[in-house]
Amino acid sequence: MQSNRLGWILLAPTLVILFFFGVVPFFYVLWLSFHQWNPFAADPNVIFNGADNFRALVFDNGFLSSLGVTIAFVFFAVLSELVIGYALAQAFLKDFPGKAIFRTIHTLPLIMAPIIVGSIWKLMTTPSIGIIPSLLRSWFGYDLNIGTSAVAAFTVTVVMDIWHWTPLVTLTLIAALVSLPSDPFEQAQIDGANKRQIFWHITLPMIMPAVLATVFIRLMDALRTVDEVLMLTGGGPGSATRYLGVHIFKEVFPRTNYGYGSAISIIVLYLTIVACWLLYVSLIAPRNTKG
Amino acid sequence: MKLNLKLSASVVALSMIAGAAFAQEIDVKNPEWWQEAGKQFEGVTLHGVTESTPASNYISDVLAPKFEDLTGISVQIETTSWDQMYDKAIKDMEAKTGIYDMVYIEQDIVYAYLARNFLVDVTKALKENEGLNAPEYSEDNFTTFADNFRGKDGDLYGLPMEAFIKVYLYRKDLFDDPDIKAAFKEKTGKELKPATTHEDYAEIAQFFTDYGKEKGMDLWGTTAQAHTGHPASWYEYYESVAPTFGVYNWGIDADNNYAATVEHGGTMNSPEAKKALKWWLSMRDIAPPESVQSTWTEVATTFAAGRAAQGLVYGENAAWIATDESKSRVVGKVGVALPPLEKGVMEDAESGKGYIGYYDGGAFGLPVTSKNQEASLLFLQFMALPEVQEDWAAAGSRITLTSTYDTPKVKEIDEELGGYYTMLRDDGKLFKGAPEYPFHRQVIEATTPTFYQILTGGISVDDGLDQMAEKTEEELKSLGYRK
Amino acid sequence: MKRHATWLYLLFWIVVSFLTMFPIYWLFVISVKPAVELFSTPEVLLSSVYWQNYIDVMNDSTLRGYMVNSLIISTGNAALVTVLGFLACYALTRFELGGKESIFFWTITNRMAPPAVFLLPLFLLFTQVYKFGDFTLLDSKIGMILVYCTFNLPFAIWTLRPTVDGIPKELDEAAFVDGASAWTVITEIILPLARPGLAVTLILTWVFAWNEYLLAATLTNFNARTLTTGLSEYVTTTGTEWGVMATISVFTLIPALIIFSMVQRHIVAGLTFGAVKG
Repeated sequence: MQSNRLGWILLAPTLVILFFFGVVPFFYVLWLSFHQWNPFAADPNVIFNGADNFRALVFDNGFLSSLGVTIAFVFFAVLSELVIGYALAQAFLKDFPGKAIFRTIHTLPLIMAPIIVGSIWKLMTTPSIGIIPSLLRSWFGYDLNIGTSAVAAFTVTVVMDIWHWTPLVTLTLIAALVSLPSDPFEQAQIDGANKRQIFWHITLPMIMPAVLATVFIRLMDALRTVDEVLMLTGGGPGSATRYLGVHIFKEVFPRTNYGYGSAISIIVLYLTIVACWLLYVSLIAPRNTKG
Repeated sequence: MKLNLKLSASVVALSMIAGAAFAQEIDVKNPEWWQEAGKQFEGVTLHGVTESTPASNYISDVLAPKFEDLTGISVQIETTSWDQMYDKAIKDMEAKTGIYDMVYIEQDIVYAYLARNFLVDVTKALKENEGLNAPEYSEDNFTTFADNFRGKDGDLYGLPMEAFIKVYLYRKDLFDDPDIKAAFKEKTGKELKPATTHEDYAEIAQFFTDYGKEKGMDLWGTTAQAHTGHPASWYEYYESVAPTFGVYNWGIDADNNYAATVEHGGTMNSPEAKKALKWWLSMRDIAPPESVQSTWTEVATTFAAGRAAQGLVYGENAAWIATDESKSRVVGKVGVALPPLEKGVMEDAESGKGYIGYYDGGAFGLPVTSKNQEASLLFLQFMALPEVQEDWAAAGSRITLTSTYDTPKVKEIDEELGGYYTMLRDDGKLFKGAPEYPFHRQVIEATTPTFYQILTGGISVDDGLDQMAEKTEEELKSLGYRK
Repeated sequence: MKRHATWLYLLFWIVVSFLTMFPIYWLFVISVKPAVELFSTPEVLLSSVYWQNYIDVMNDSTLRGYMVNSLIISTGNAALVTVLGFLACYALTRFELGGKESIFFWTITNRMAPPAVFLLPLFLLFTQVYKFGDFTLLDSKIGMILVYCTFNLPFAIWTLRPTVDGIPKELDEAAFVDGASAWTVITEIILPLARPGLAVTLILTWVFAWNEYLLAATLTNFNARTLTTGLSEYVTTTGTEWGVMATISVFTLIPALIIFSMVQRHIVAGLTFGAVKG
């Protein structure tokens, strides 16, 4: 084994870049979260207000309801993406004619900028003039109205997210599956294990790090979703799709409530880290230290 | 509109190849003066930020190159979306970076910028720099819209660039159709003509929505800018509907410690405000179904697609709806009228106590942080020259100088527009921009969640407006305006 | 493989592809319709085609500039983070570095931050702190390439680690015994075996950079503006130009498709390495 110095050298550029562009701004936001600052308040200065922002958060109904719908959104979207994405990744491991074309088609949604995705889905789902409500009405007599129905709007944002991001899950899982060594599978087949046993006892444990990495990425990206939803529903109807990303955006951009917005961001960041850390410690870390 | 502009931009490109630059059509009266004035700023590049609207695009596509030709000063205009425009200008001015030498100031944000001393006093700066006073420029050329950009001292802090009123558009072809007229008379006992009261408006709206259903047409009686997640709906109610019921300045009384609730002397939850919102919601219910997802854009397109018989539409859209065949199905079928009103509102507007609708627009201002203030003053004056206005008005349907009304192209368009420009000139004084508050978007964002809830029926109009009034006072207190 | 199974697969993929393609087809429909026609009862098939949007977009030199900027920034960033991420993963899996699990976890926290509030500090840093003489990072391509590392570098490290970890350590140990340098081991042994993971990482980080909007909107002005910020110009108070916006998006598919097909081959190449699983 080489000396650790080489390891640190290889790691250094990553640490330096993340320090200057990730850590330094973070400390500014952290500092700001203990201040009251709205440049368009009667007093436009940055005023230290201790933990007031955080205290206010606990009673802020807008924030709490946003947190609630966000958790629901992330849960449904990420879970569906994982299941569908895994199924498709498995299907791609088989050989069949035109596979390359199908795989390219499947990855197309990824190339769409969120702002475009939001626009297309808006035009497809606007009551009366969108193609989806129109087809649903003529096929099932169902009236889809994302402007008035909270459930409809929520569902459409979830479906949109699944459409947009499942290919990411598929791709990362393909990469994980093709890199697996073949010996354990051959051994299992010799031992007469059935498909389900192989999946639960061999495939899943082996691709767990990749699955979790994918889940983390999707989880944190879904938590940060802004553009698509702003474009599609603006967070409405009411506050039905006002996810945390949208909530923070509205707090910081139009309302210029920088101090409070920073406090929300810090809390969201903290909750995300805790959730991910727990998952990580229980599922991956032991494996990594072993290896 | 952008499309048109892109077209005209490619025309510009083509004609430049042909050796006859479109920009040269603009005849500046004293080219020598501009050449002379520009000499001391050789090599300077001015940077501006604006929203990507036809009027703004005309600046970057036509006016900036012409100005560079004359003076040697180059101008780069960054066009961006509405949200971004504010954010970028504010960040630059707040951090004193000095990126921008010109910022677009929409009428409703100017008071916030003034409160923060972000802008250069243009009147004063020109007085102090005699050498920079362009011969044809004068503050007296502006229409009264310029008054929105004056500070307490009466000086100008931004030179108006565009101005519009939100008008009542109706379908002339439908209103003049003899069969429809007869059917309307039979049903209501009244003559079919543009409404002047809310009752009449509602009657006409109901009639056309029923008519559309009967005939199996995609036609409804009114538009509604009633998005359930975008502040466009808030704007329509507070700036265009509530005033016609006598609720002015968003129901906030600035002279009375910024009171919003009736209890403290405000009118945000007054009976009139509640009546206005109920009326507007009843109109929303008979408007085309897409209205619950409509911002200003969709309302204009709905009207242009011929789906509404009447409605309140922003003036910048009225122009293309009435004239642009590539984007509108109702070209030549559009009439313009003043919004329907409650009794007493017209008297209020005439006496200056109130107003009947929204006067909207923007100006270019000079940030105090700019590093090229003098050169920027030149360009600002250049944009306000009478001789550059005519084509600009044609391209962007905007008028900011009184003399522009009498130019041939504007007169021609006025006719196609059913007299929109005439109305802007004669009745513009009855309309008013957003109230003079430095806290617009703060109050809007604090109250929209409740407002959207009212729209979706999650809360009643009465309770909702009560809550909004309270929320407003709360927000103003935390911002430090309400003591 | 049995014949009917092949047909079932084909049918399955045709259905999946149809669902995937429909919104993209609709994007195309929007791009070849005048806006006013979008506001009527919709029809699935096109009755007439309106090409004006395409002519306008092709003649727009500003957009071409944005396209070039986007290509440079996303390709530069994807290459940078894939290389750095790969090296970092090699370090994390092959060395006993103190606190390496914490470092590994910490990298990903850089991606968790809600972007809206980080724009202000980044703007201040870009204009007032990270400057070298007259050069500031604001409105520069290098600045964008670096700032995109905050969300792409953690992604690269997290997606590459399982791949690099899965490459048997006996291979590099054997090579070291034979006297190979660390450089040779990384480039000639690890790199070829990590190709599928590297290809996927390259594609996805490229996509993230290509589609990023909020940071680009705040940190670029004239010289480094990207396509996504250009798109937002078509969302204005006087009208969202659905048609032009859709047309630009159709155009942006082209470079993205080229890059995808170039890199995707390497995912296929990986397939020969492992046998059929599960």
